[in-house]
Amino acid sequence: MASCAVEGGCPTDYIAISVATLFFILLLSRFILPFIVHKVPHTKGSGFWIPVIHIFASFNLLLSLVMSVNFLKFKRRHWWQSCYMWAAWVEGPLGFGLLLSCRIAQAFQLYYIFVRRRLPPIRSYIFLPLILLPWIAGAAFIHMKKPLNHRCHTGAPWIIPIVCLHALYVAILVGFLGAIRHIEFRFDELKDLLRGIVVSASSIGVWVFAYILNEIHDEISWLQVVSRFLLLVTASVLVLVFFSISSSEPLLSQISLKKREPKEFETMGQALGIPDSGLLLQREPTPVIDPNEPLDKLLLDKRFRQSFMAFADSCLAGESVHFYDEVHEHEKIPVDDHVRRIYMARHIIEKYIVAGASMEVNISHRTRQEILTTPDLAHPDLFNNAINELMQLLKMNLAKDYWSSMFFIKFREEASTRSTSHDLEHMTGWNFSPRLSSVHCFDDPFHHEQFSKCSSHNSHDPDP
Amino acid sequence: MLSGLVENMGLLCSRNRRYSAADSEENAQTAEIERRIEQETKAEKHIQKLLLLGAGESGKSTIFKQARHTNGSPFVKVIVLYADNADILYDGSKELAQNETDSTAYVLSSEHKDIGEKLSEIGGRLDYPRLTKELAQEIETLWKDPAIQETCARGSELQLPDCAQYFMENLHRLSDTNYIPTKEDVLYSRVRTTGVVEIQFSPVGEHKKSGEVYRLFDVGGQRNERRKWIHLFEGVTAVIFCAAISEYDQTLFEDEQKNRMMETKELFDWVLKQPCFEKTSFMLFLNKFDIFEKKVLKVPLNVCEWFKDYQPGSTGKQEIEHAYEYVKKKFEELYFQSTAPDRVDRVFKIYRTTALDQKLVKKTFKLVDETLRRRNLFEAGLL
Repeated sequence: MASCAVEGGCPTDYIAISVATLFFILLLSRFILPFIVHKVPHTKGSGFWIPVIHIFASFNLLLSLVMSVNFLKFKRRHWWQSCYMWAAWVEGPLGFGLLLSCRIAQAFQLYYIFVRRRLPPIRSYIFLPLILLPWIAGAAFIHMKKPLNHRCHTGAPWIIPIVCLHALYVAILVGFLGAIRHIEFRFDELKDLLRGIVVSASSIGVWVFAYILNEIHDEISWLQVVSRFLLLVTASVLVLVFFSISSSEPLLSQISLKKREPKEFETMGQALGIPDSGLLLQREPTPVIDPNEPLDKLLLDKRFRQSFMAFADSCLAGESVHFYDEVHEHEKIPVDDHVRRIYMARHIIEKYIVAGASMEVNISHRTRQEILTTPDLAHPDLFNNAINELMQLLKMNLAKDYWSSMFFIKFREEASTRSTSHDLEHMTGWNFSPRLSSVHCFDDPFHHEQFSKCSSHNSHDPDP
Repeated sequence: MLSGLVENMGLLCSRNRRYSAADSEENAQTAEIERRIEQETKAEKHIQKLLLLGAGESGKSTIFKQARHTNGSPFVKVIVLYADNADILYDGSKELAQNETDSTAYVLSSEHKDIGEKLSEIGGRLDYPRLTKELAQEIETLWKDPAIQETCARGSELQLPDCAQYFMENLHRLSDTNYIPTKEDVLYSRVRTTGVVEIQFSPVGEHKKSGEVYRLFDVGGQRNERRKWIHLFEGVTAVIFCAAISEYDQTLFEDEQKNRMMETKELFDWVLKQPCFEKTSFMLFLNKFDIFEKKVLKVPLNVCEWFKDYQPGSTGKQEIEHAYEYVKKKFEELYFQSTAPDRVDRVFKIYRTTALDQKLVKKTFKLVDETLRRRNLFEAGLL
C-alpha cells in the first residue's frame, strides 16, 4: 500500500484515470456531435476556435495531473517526463490557465458588446495570449527556482501563491459575469456560463482542498491516494461541465443535442422573433407600383423588394438589397430593446460591413469606420449613412434596368393575377377552380400561365 | 365480342394514328430545337469574351460607355450629382480648417458657409431637388471662394472625383431648363459600378461584318466587388486591365490607408496569376494620361512607394514622356515577374489612353481588335 501511494499504480489510480478518459471522450462528443448530427457548417473566427482551445486546455489539464501526481508507475528519465514540464508548464499556462482565459475572453466579449455597447477593441486572438502572460511568468519562475521535490510536490510557502493565482482567475471570471448578469440574453449565453461557473466553483473547492492535501502531507499514504483520486475525478467533472458551445454566436448555439427543440432559423430576423420576418402574407393588398416613385419608397413593399432582390442577385449586385432588407428588419425592433438591437446590429456588421465579409457592401471607408467604431451599437441611426450610399448606388446602377427586365414583368403579372384571383374568389366563393375552365390544359401550378397556354393549345389542337 | 374487339382495334388504330401524327410533329419540333442549339453553339464559339478589370475609379466604365456609343447604342440619361462634389469640397475645407496648422487659408466667409451647409444637407438626402439657376449660382460662388480653391488643390487627400472641376465649370449649362446631356457630360460623370454589366457588339472595320462578335463585361473595382469577378473568368479571350496612372498620390475610396497605385500593382499581379488566364491576352490601358500630364510636373512620382527610385530628368514635355516611360517600364517588369515561363507567349500590349477622348479610344479599340484577330489566326494555324 505504501509503495503504491508513493510510486503510483494503485487500483484507485487506475479507476480515476479511466473516469478521466471517459469524461474527456464525453467532452469531445459534446463538441463534435452537433456538427455531425445537424450538419452545420462550422463558423470561422472566435466562435469556433475558443471551444477548440477549451478542449485542448482540458486535455492538457487532465494529462498534467496524471503525469505529475504519480498516478502511473514510471521513472522520470527523459526531460519531457520531468516534473516541471507537467506540473508547472502544462498544468498552468497550457491547462487551467488556458481554460479560464478562454472563458474570460468570452465573458469580456459579451461584456463589451452588451454593457458598453461597442465592438470589443481588442480581438480575442490578441486578448487571450495577453491574459495568459501571468501564468507563463509564474511557470517560468517556478522553473527557475525549482522548489519541487522528486515527487513533484512543493512545500507550504509555495502553495499559497499558486492557489492564489488559480483563485484570482476564477474571481476575474466571476467579476465579468457579475457585470453582465442583469442582461437578459436571448440565446442562453448567460445560463451556459453561469452553470459552468456554479459547478466548477464547487468542484474547485474540492479540488483545491485535495491539491493542498496532496502537496503538503506527503507522508500519510492513504491521504495521498484519496486526495489523488479526488483531484483527478473533480478535474474531469470540471472540464466537462465548464464546457459550453455558446459564445454569443446565436445561430450556432441554437443547435443542441436536445431533441425536443430542433429549432433552426434561416435568418437572424427569425431567430430574434422579429414580426413579419421572411413571411409573405397572403392577405396584403397589392399596391400599384409606379416607376416614377423614388426607389426607397418602392422598396418598403415586401413583394417589390423580393422581386428587386432577385433581379439584383442576377446582376451580381444583390448584397446591397439584402443589406437594405436586414436593416429594415433591424429598424422594426423597438428602440428600448437594446439586447435584440445589438444582436441584429452585430449580425449585420459581421455579414455586410467587416472588410472581407461574405456579402460585403460597397461603402466608403469613412462610413465603414463610423459603423465599426461606433460608441453605441444599439443606436437606431447606426446604418443610415450606409443605406444612403447604397441607395444612390442602386439608383444609378440597377433601377433603370429593372423596369425593362424579366423580373419586373413577372412581378407585374403576379400582382395582376393575385388581384384578379382575389376578386374572383370574392365573386364566386370557394367553388372557384381554375382547372374547370379548359379540359385540355395540363396541370399547371402557376395560374397565370394557364390561360395563355390554353388559348394557344386550343388553336393548335389537331382533332382528328 | 367481335364487335367489341373491332371497336377496340379501331380505337387502337386511331390512337396510334394520333400518336404517329403527334410523333412526327414532335420530331419536327425536336429537330428544330436541336438545329437552333447547334446554331447558337457555333455562334457562341465566335463570341470573344472581353473583361474590363481594374481597381476602383480606373476608367473601366468610361471605356465601356465609349464602346457602347461607338457601336450604336444611344447614351443613357445622366443624372448629375451636383451636390456631391460641392459636399466633398465643403466637408474637406472644414476638416482641413480643423487639422491644419495654417488653417486660415481654409476658412470660408460666413455667407459661403451657409451655402455650404445647405449643399451638405442636400447631399445627405436620397433625392436631389432639380438644379435651378439660383442653386447653380450659389454653387458657383462657393466654388470661387479661395478657401474652396485651396481645398481643391489638395483634392488628392479627399475622395474628390476627377470630374469635379469639369462639372463645377459647366454649372450654367447644366442648370438650363432645356438641358440635354452631351457626350462629354455622360463620359465625365462618375458613378460607382456595382455588379456586372455586359454589352455585345460586332466591330465594323474595313471588312464589314467580319463575323467577329465581342462581348464586353464591365465590373465594379472596389474590393468588395472583386469577389464577383471570379464568375466571369471562364473562357476569356482578352482582359483589358485599366490602370489610372494619375492616381499615384491618392488613397482608396474603400480604404483610406492604402495608396491607389500600390493597390493597382497588387491587383494586376493577382489577375496575371489566375489559372483561368493561361491563354488570355492582356491589354493594359494606362489610363487618365491627361491628368497624369498635369500632375507629374507638380507632384513627383516618388511619393508612391513603387516609384521611389524614379529620377526626374528635365522639365516640360520631355519630363512627361520620361515619367510615362518609367511607369510603363514598371508595369512591364511587373508583368514579366508575375508571368510563369509557360505563359510567356500570351499576348501582352500596353496602350496609353485617356478614356474621355473618343477618337483615342476608338483608335485603341481598333488596335485591340486587330491584335485579337491576329491572335485568332495564329491560334488557328493560319499565320
